[in-house]
Amino acid sequence: MKKIIVVFVIVALAISSCKVVEPVKKSVAYKGMYDQKPLAILIMPPINKSNNVDAKEYFHSTLNVPVCNAGYYTIPPFISMEILKKESAYDAEMFINNPVNKFGEIFGADVALFTIIHKWDKSALAAVVIIEVEYIFKSTSTGEILYQRKGLVNYDTSVQVQGGGLAGALIGMAASAINTAATKYVDVARACNAYTLIDIPAGKYNTKNGLDGEELAGQKEFTIRLGKNYTNVYY
Amino acid sequence: MKKLLMMLLVVVSVASCTVQKPLYSWYNYNATSYSYLKNANEASTQQLLESYQKIIEKQKGSRATVPPGVYADYGFLLLKLNKTTEGKSMLAKEMEIYPESKVFIERILKMLEK
Repeated sequence: MKKIIVVFVIVALAISSCKVVEPVKKSVAYKGMYDQKPLAILIMPPINKSNNVDAKEYFHSTLNVPVCNAGYYTIPPFISMEILKKESAYDAEMFINNPVNKFGEIFGADVALFTIIHKWDKSALAAVVIIEVEYIFKSTSTGEILYQRKGLVNYDTSVQVQGGGLAGALIGMAASAINTAATKYVDVARACNAYTLIDIPAGKYNTKNGLDGEELAGQKEFTIRLGKNYTNVYY
Repeated sequence: MKKLLMMLLVVVSVASCTVQKPLYSWYNYNATSYSYLKNANEASTQQLLESYQKIIEKQKGSRATVPPGVYADYGFLLLKLNKTTEGKSMLAKEMEIYPESKVFIERILKMLEK
């Protein structure tokens, strides 16, 4: 009897863990992007809910590159920062749940891009930085959310050390610990942005504009492990 | 040895075929813009200016065009350093290649005149 119950539990667990999310085409997942065809994107200052006080800057300075490379016009970060401050609109928290049409008037932006940094934890021993970030593209004309993805990214900062044995492993661990402390966190943010934004439909300046609707969209919420090599990819 | 080199070459060239060439080349822009955002001192300003110049002069991306916002932010930084003529001409270039920038560029020019 016990055996049957155990088998039953194992089968039930196996089935429940196999929950498969049906893949959806980009034209369905990001319908608003195809309908509204936004061009100019305003990057809002990231909303930092993590314990890392510098995380906001890491993300703010790395967001325009992947968005431009996807084919969009990005309102330049330093000019937009200046205008947002002068218009008393530098606090993105104030706008995430409110109308954003004023950014259409001030900047000529079609979309306000919000980022929420939910988590930024580093573990020196495991040489991993764990980041959870949400990206929200909000239309300035209709207020609709046109694109939204949330990712839990494990960024591996470990250093590969050649030579085996216990001594080699110990050297590797020590080197990785130092590397995590000194890791250019800009690279972490850059990898996270590049991976999460890879799914945006191609914009006007990209030759794939309007032709990628049949491609399958990535999952809205995902967990991924990235390494240093990923930062070589811009888009 | 030669064979090995040849094999490596083939592998590298095949591998590079599968990667889509990015629209623009940005060089070390991410590092220099972060450093300027964080420090805003003389050294980081100089490095950011050099980044902008390189992006403008050496575009190897598939569009062969200066990326959005680079002329504008470069011009804005020049204006802040009191290089008014040079700065304004950069802002004009941004509006020329990206007409969608007109709204906020006119706004920033008005703000700076005050």
